[in-house]
Amino acid sequence: MNILTLLIFIPVVFGLIILVLPSSLRVTFKYITLLATFVQLCLGIKMYLDFKTGPSFAGISNINQYQFVQKLPWINLDLGGAGKLQIEYFIGVDGMSILLLVMTTLVMVVAAVASWEIKSNLKGFFALFLLLDMAVIGVFCALDFFLFYTFYELMLLPLYFLIGMWGGVRREYAAIKFFLYTLFGSVFMLLVMVGLYMSVKDPVTGSHTFNIIYMMNPKNYIDGSVFSVLANGSILGMPARTVGFVVLFIAFAIKVPVVPLHTWLPDAHVEAPTPVSIILAGVLLKIGGYGIIRICMGIFPEVAHNQAFWLGLLGVVSILYGAFNALAQRDLKRMIAYSSVSHMGFVLLGIASSTTEGISGAMMQMVSHGFLSTMLFFLVGVIYGRVHDRDIYNFRGLASLMPRYTVYVMVAFFASLGLPGFSAFVAEAFSLIGAFKSQTVNGLLPQWMAVCGSIGILLSASYFLWTLQRMFFGQMSLKGGEFWKIALTDLNIRETATLLPLALIALLLGVMPSLVFDKLNESVLAMVSFLSGK
Amino acid sequence: MTATVANIDNSQIVTLVLTAVTLPFVAFLINFLLLQKSKVSGWVSTAAILCSAILAVKILIALWNQKPITAQFAWFQIGITRYYAGIWLNNLSVLMLALVPLIALPVHIYSTAYMKHDSGYGRYFTYLSLFCFSMMALVVMRSMLLMYAFWELVGFSSYLLIGFWYTRESAAAANKKAFIMNRIGDIGLLVAIMIIYAMFHTFNMDRIFGEAGLIRKSSINGLVWTTLFEHMSAYWQYVAAAGLFLAVAAKSAQFPLHTWLPDAMEGPTSVSALIHAATMVAAGVFLLGRFLPFFNGTELHILAIVGCLTAFMAATIALTQNDLKRILAYSTISQLGYMVMGIGIEAYPSALMHLVTHAFFKCLLFLVAGIVIHEMKHIKEENNLDIDPQDIRHMGGLRKKLPLTFLVTIIGALALIGLPLTSGYLSKDGILIHSFEWSEDNVNRFAFVPVMAVITTWITAFYVTRMVVKVFFGELQLLKSNPALSLHLTDGGLLYKLPLIFLALCSLFPLFSFNPLSYEHSWLFNGLASNFLVQKNNYHLFVPIIVGLGSVTTMYMAYLSYGKHKWAFPQGGFFNRLSSNEWYIDAFYSRVVVKGVLAFSCALYWFDKNIVDGLVHLLERIGLFLSRVSAWFDKYIVDGLLHTVAAIVEAIGNFARRFQNGKVQYYLYSMLLAVVIVFVLKLLIWS
Repeated sequence: MNILTLLIFIPVVFGLIILVLPSSLRVTFKYITLLATFVQLCLGIKMYLDFKTGPSFAGISNINQYQFVQKLPWINLDLGGAGKLQIEYFIGVDGMSILLLVMTTLVMVVAAVASWEIKSNLKGFFALFLLLDMAVIGVFCALDFFLFYTFYELMLLPLYFLIGMWGGVRREYAAIKFFLYTLFGSVFMLLVMVGLYMSVKDPVTGSHTFNIIYMMNPKNYIDGSVFSVLANGSILGMPARTVGFVVLFIAFAIKVPVVPLHTWLPDAHVEAPTPVSIILAGVLLKIGGYGIIRICMGIFPEVAHNQAFWLGLLGVVSILYGAFNALAQRDLKRMIAYSSVSHMGFVLLGIASSTTEGISGAMMQMVSHGFLSTMLFFLVGVIYGRVHDRDIYNFRGLASLMPRYTVYVMVAFFASLGLPGFSAFVAEAFSLIGAFKSQTVNGLLPQWMAVCGSIGILLSASYFLWTLQRMFFGQMSLKGGEFWKIALTDLNIRETATLLPLALIALLLGVMPSLVFDKLNESVLAMVSFLSGK
Repeated sequence: MTATVANIDNSQIVTLVLTAVTLPFVAFLINFLLLQKSKVSGWVSTAAILCSAILAVKILIALWNQKPITAQFAWFQIGITRYYAGIWLNNLSVLMLALVPLIALPVHIYSTAYMKHDSGYGRYFTYLSLFCFSMMALVVMRSMLLMYAFWELVGFSSYLLIGFWYTRESAAAANKKAFIMNRIGDIGLLVAIMIIYAMFHTFNMDRIFGEAGLIRKSSINGLVWTTLFEHMSAYWQYVAAAGLFLAVAAKSAQFPLHTWLPDAMEGPTSVSALIHAATMVAAGVFLLGRFLPFFNGTELHILAIVGCLTAFMAATIALTQNDLKRILAYSTISQLGYMVMGIGIEAYPSALMHLVTHAFFKCLLFLVAGIVIHEMKHIKEENNLDIDPQDIRHMGGLRKKLPLTFLVTIIGALALIGLPLTSGYLSKDGILIHSFEWSEDNVNRFAFVPVMAVITTWITAFYVTRMVVKVFFGELQLLKSNPALSLHLTDGGLLYKLPLIFLALCSLFPLFSFNPLSYEHSWLFNGLASNFLVQKNNYHLFVPIIVGLGSVTTMYMAYLSYGKHKWAFPQGGFFNRLSSNEWYIDAFYSRVVVKGVLAFSCALYWFDKNIVDGLVHLLERIGLFLSRVSAWFDKYIVDGLLHTVAAIVEAIGNFARRFQNGKVQYYLYSMLLAVVIVFVLKLLIWS
């Protein structure tokens, strides 16, 4: 059995077990879920260790260089005159996806632990949770666009219900906003996908194909088809490939999220229960970044090259805009949500630079932000779970009351603001260095973008430290008085056991970034040379 | 990791350096993991720093005036570029490497007594060891990236120590301010590093700035800056220099980023002595030393002017401050200004020598301040007074109560003023003499710089005397309002005395030069000056005399004013207010800059909520409106049409129904009618 397939479908198996178990056993559901995610984590670590590196395992546009590949015919229809419909179950990983995959498996374990706080309708919650788990893993593995799209859409359903049913006060609003926003992007993605399908044919069988890797090679495009590189086809008077790129970019930009398509995020985060916030910030945002690299830039490299300036500009705007908004928040969770917007801006800036440093930095930032945002949202969940309040001004001097909690908050805050020694520092530094070098290497981004982006680092220090000062230092005073004082107990063992590995990983990746870069290098080099058209 | 030591012969030295640097880190780990609650932590940290100090001095002796040593380890690889973690040992770095633990050692010993009763004792030494590690690593790093990393870590440990008493609101505000202002500098440094990396394709500082480094093969022609690898607009060279300047200004508390330093005095006094007087704040000057070849003439001139201005400004502020630590903080800023100015006027050896001498005597003065504040706190607690123990207006007459403290204070104060026989004289005179020469070389365009520098030394003499007189001479001011005060004041035990004596000895001339009057005979100066041409001329005679006489005069005036109360400054004048309000710079920052940024961020959030999200809501409303329109259309038009048809059919049906009433006569009648109508029609139409 292919390990990747196993990884994708394990949650479904466990989910089915939960569904058939009687409700009287509902106390076991959380352990079953934890077990499922834990098995996944073990598989993920095994894959990480087995992952082969070297020039012959770069992946990207070379179909033979992917690892853990499984390819099965899925839907094959003879459409007579219209050719054959060829949809494959085609999965595999390269340096880009393996890291996000491993990161996802760990985030899922943390999210499963955070699900302890869920008290109502456990069967539904954990079944949906595991369905979501399957879908996000599937997205990172799929190499067939149809399969990718299936997983991509499949994520929406459980998320809608997870936010809409187990969320906060305005959960219905947040859920529907999130759902429509994402659907808006993906509906148009569907059109482009069909267009690509009609334009590309499998060089082996000669039939149309959804194979993403074939879509990367201009030779596989049918002469005169709408997305053909040579044909210069047009849609509504605009160059077809530019339209295709922009449509796909908008779909993924909503996920990242890129300003101005970000407004679903603060609402979804604030209303979502802690485990869902963790998955949203830790994994879902990365799907956006991953989609931009793999799909947008992979299939339309020359458009990405031409539009790099705008991508970079959006990145810088997201960094600064998100940071300023975070500074204005008084809801802790909303502040962290905006900080996510800011930090994901570095990803876009790094990707847009198309330099080795920039793309490596962006990938590192995705991995790093995956762990750190998980930690941040988990920490917010701790305090919200105890007193059901998150307003920064309702707390003061928490350091005296919850010393261990404060230590973890400080670790998470300082790691997020890019303190050297933690992963975000390497990530942000190289995203910026890549963006700066871009002018001399390939002339894509002007240098001022990197300089403006670095201001985001200053602002992140401002909002995190200001929050520390307001909430944790000073004389203790709580809005809820004595009642809160009793309710606000320090971290318990379960919480510590969750937070400690995250903190250690952030530290480990900061001190030994080679853990990420070694797996990544060949893929990044292949990506850079692919983007430069060589 | 594979070790690729560049120079095999030096591998022993490299091991020594790595040991010296990592020892405090080991202490940090032990304290952090095991000894948070234990009093042993203090001795673990002290032992570590003692070993570090011994090793560092050994390294200093071995490497002083030798060829620079470099070594590196592969750290990670991005694409095909390898990044290294390495060390670069030259005179500058080995000097700093020795200086840091030598200052830190007395501070550690002092702290074991000073912090003895604090509940955060273990935490304190944990942070302190982290700081020592970061600082020592900072000075030996070879890669700009790693230097940046430790540059930030130093700031981070300073953040932790300033906010050591985190329940105090003022401490929590001060450490945030310190970190954020340092972050401004960090960004400058990061941008500079990005630019330099893009131009020189390496992070290795010795490759760029070392002897025969790449910087010597770069040039600015017109508007283009060219290196061996790249060319870029010359504008970016200025940006990089500005970034470096920001970094220096933030770390070394230079105008306009100096305002965090006086607030940083919220930390324990021993911390102020080590970090905010002797070592960390000197990192900016150290950075200038490393990056010196990068700056061109104009940039150095700006540096000199800013340094001179900072020195003058801080000295004038120190004149009117009443908080003992704040006076010392401003004097630190002022002395750092001298150092930056020294670099700017290319008096590189003197500037760095001033860094070293200043570290000793300023650390000494802070430790003294710690003892004085400790004793005042003692009085306060013993007598239940409501006073600020740091306020010099309550002090006085401590000379007799604290004899040793008084003696070392005098040594420290004289060194700070820069009178002969002290180390301060040697270093400060070097800068002042050079400033006159420099001004002459620049056809006196910047003549105000040396003049201002000399005036600043006089002001320094005045405020130092004011402080010493107010603290140690006359009578204890508290006794005037509370005559029944019970006093138990002592110099403290050996743990207090030994560090003071050690630092006081280091503040005298013999450590630096056997000739008390000539800095050019100092081993330190000669070691650092090997590459610099030294001129001999008559300034060497005039400047010390003018400075010395002026200083003694102002000292006497200060003594008359504060010791004998013969005269006093007019209170409440413009200059007085300017000085006591610290030139309104901080007020400007908090009222304009901070408020401005916050207002801007709130405005952006409003924009986000109402415009960006408003658009989304607008779309939602448009969607809902359209759906309502279509519902209306569906109901009244589409369905309405259907209903109309149905109504017509119904109407016809209703009408026709009446014909089906079941009466035979009626049917007959209607049949007849129909026949008649047909007949009539036929007749009319066909005929």
